[in-house]
Amino acid sequence: MKVVVKLFGGIKSEKDFPRNEEKDLIVETEKPLTIYELIDFLSLNKKPFIVVLNGVILTNLSIQIKDGDEISLFPPIAGG
Amino acid sequence: MKILRINMSEDAPEVKFEDLGQYEGLGGRALTSAIISKEVDPLCHPLSADNKLVIACGLLGGSAAAMSGRTSVGCKSPLTGGIKEANSGGQAGQVLGRLGIAAIVLEGKPKGDDTYKIYINKNGVKVEKDNSLKMLPNYDLIEKMKKEFGEKIACVSIGPAGEMKMSGASVALTDMELRPTRHAGRGGVGAVMGSKGVKVIVLDDTETTPRQPKNVEAFKEANKKFVAGLQKHPVTGQGLPAYGTNVLTNIINEVGAYPTYNFKEGRFAGARKISGEVEAELEKQRGGNPTHGCHRGCVIRCSGIYHDKDGHYLTKQPEYETVWALGGNCGVDDIDKIAMMDFLCDNYGVDTIEMGATIAVAMEAGLLKWGDADAAINLLHEVGKGTHLGRIIGNGAAFTGKAFGVERVPVVKGQALPAYDPRAVQGIGVTYATSPMGADHTAGYSIALNVLKTGGFVDPLKPEGQVELSRNLQIATAFVDSTGMCLFIAFALLDQPETNQALLDMLNAFYGWNMTDKDVVEYGKKVLKFERDFNLRAGFTKEHDRLPRFFYKEPLPPHNTVFQVKDEELDQLFNW
Repeated sequence: MKVVVKLFGGIKSEKDFPRNEEKDLIVETEKPLTIYELIDFLSLNKKPFIVVLNGVILTNLSIQIKDGDEISLFPPIAGG
Repeated sequence: MKILRINMSEDAPEVKFEDLGQYEGLGGRALTSAIISKEVDPLCHPLSADNKLVIACGLLGGSAAAMSGRTSVGCKSPLTGGIKEANSGGQAGQVLGRLGIAAIVLEGKPKGDDTYKIYINKNGVKVEKDNSLKMLPNYDLIEKMKKEFGEKIACVSIGPAGEMKMSGASVALTDMELRPTRHAGRGGVGAVMGSKGVKVIVLDDTETTPRQPKNVEAFKEANKKFVAGLQKHPVTGQGLPAYGTNVLTNIINEVGAYPTYNFKEGRFAGARKISGEVEAELEKQRGGNPTHGCHRGCVIRCSGIYHDKDGHYLTKQPEYETVWALGGNCGVDDIDKIAMMDFLCDNYGVDTIEMGATIAVAMEAGLLKWGDADAAINLLHEVGKGTHLGRIIGNGAAFTGKAFGVERVPVVKGQALPAYDPRAVQGIGVTYATSPMGADHTAGYSIALNVLKTGGFVDPLKPEGQVELSRNLQIATAFVDSTGMCLFIAFALLDQPETNQALLDMLNAFYGWNMTDKDVVEYGKKVLKFERDFNLRAGFTKEHDRLPRFFYKEPLPPHNTVFQVKDEELDQLFNW
């Protein structure tokens, strides 16, 4: 299972993943993970606050990722 | 506190100070909207002697309260034809408060075409003709004022666009470095200042002291709690200081709500190149500064200083709205060229949101190519020079759309939509449609709950709950805009009840009031009633509270949604 993980707003992974042209992480897992498990697997420097799955903001992080998903992770941010 | 009225119709402009009288207890937006609603004929021409320009500090302006430096500028808008309040950071609000002036009201209109400057200090007011200032861009103008009056001043000014009475003209306010970087941008308030013949108001608070609260100790204590609350919240304490407002580019793009190519798509391929993260890094590398306050007493410091490739000052850190309008919305992904456009807009005195939306409409018309930043820069120079084309562009998106026969023009009540597509964030569509100000994201910032998960979460792609969300936020915003506080305090207020209470405690200690949350709601409603009432008398109907029809018909990629909140629901917004 292969997904793309995009990290924004100072979030970094302590692991070394392959990256695409945009420098996003290409994450391969042997079995399907929930978003919770994926975040844990990534070893991030800070806890994501806003999680976007294929363009949709998630409120339930226990759903499972699927092959080809795009996950974007943000800390608490705002502007205007 | 007094109201300073300056009647520009007289050969020697008439200056008088008045007690607040019927306006007692009002500040900022409440004060500008009350004066315009009660004193201006809603049917008058916005550039006529019958319109007034009101420049007001907030309820806590000039006090030691953190974040209390916003300045409200109100009038009948040349852009919308309705009431307008545009507010801005910068130093003027604090200085006005220290001078004991709740509002300056510019009235009447000079008979000739002379240009005036106004100097105000603790000893009084001097109104002088100075035709050497004619058509000076804002930066040159302020340099001249510094030579004449020294560097301990704050200026409120217009650039050439205001003098030429363009509907996209802004009123500039100087920042802590005495640069004209903060703008009451929306609605063409600069054109109304221009119609009064006033080029610049110089405010000098030398030998003045901060306004004193009725209960000094309670005020100090509340202010301390308020500041601690802002510093504790991750958005106001960390996110905004680190990356500024442009940290929004990536999140709004990722959720497919970033209006691209004149609101045709919800994602921009070049978004990351112009994001807040990139801006902050460039500012650090080039000797600028990614964390900077726009006025004394700001503890959030979401602004910054942007240097060019050679390490020289170019402009303040371009805001999210500016980067979107002149960037993604026009297909431009070069942050240096966007920063140059930000400088030009500040210098000529035009609203960056309106200009970005207008340039995109001009691109839609085929006047220039999508993504052609150099052509967009040239177009802004045309605005500053006042060429025939420049005068069309400077009058905004609606005017330009008509001039070039464009169907897709993203405006409500004649004012351009800001940086969130209402098809992917339905709540902000409600605010755009119904705000008395015309399309305005700050009037009821639903993004906080629709996207940023601050204060709760309401699904942005569905119509349910959006009218109630927008209503509550419009009421709360009208109150915050009246205090003189920066609206960004709302992120902490929504999540932290003790910070919300600290703001109320501060106001109560300052004025000897006993205001509760319920009173806040009533205050906000009162402000909106002034504004709605003015607009009704100006001829606005419920049909003006609508988005352009293409938002109901053209699905927006990637979610392929249209705006789904029904007209009948929009009509319920002010039924409280």
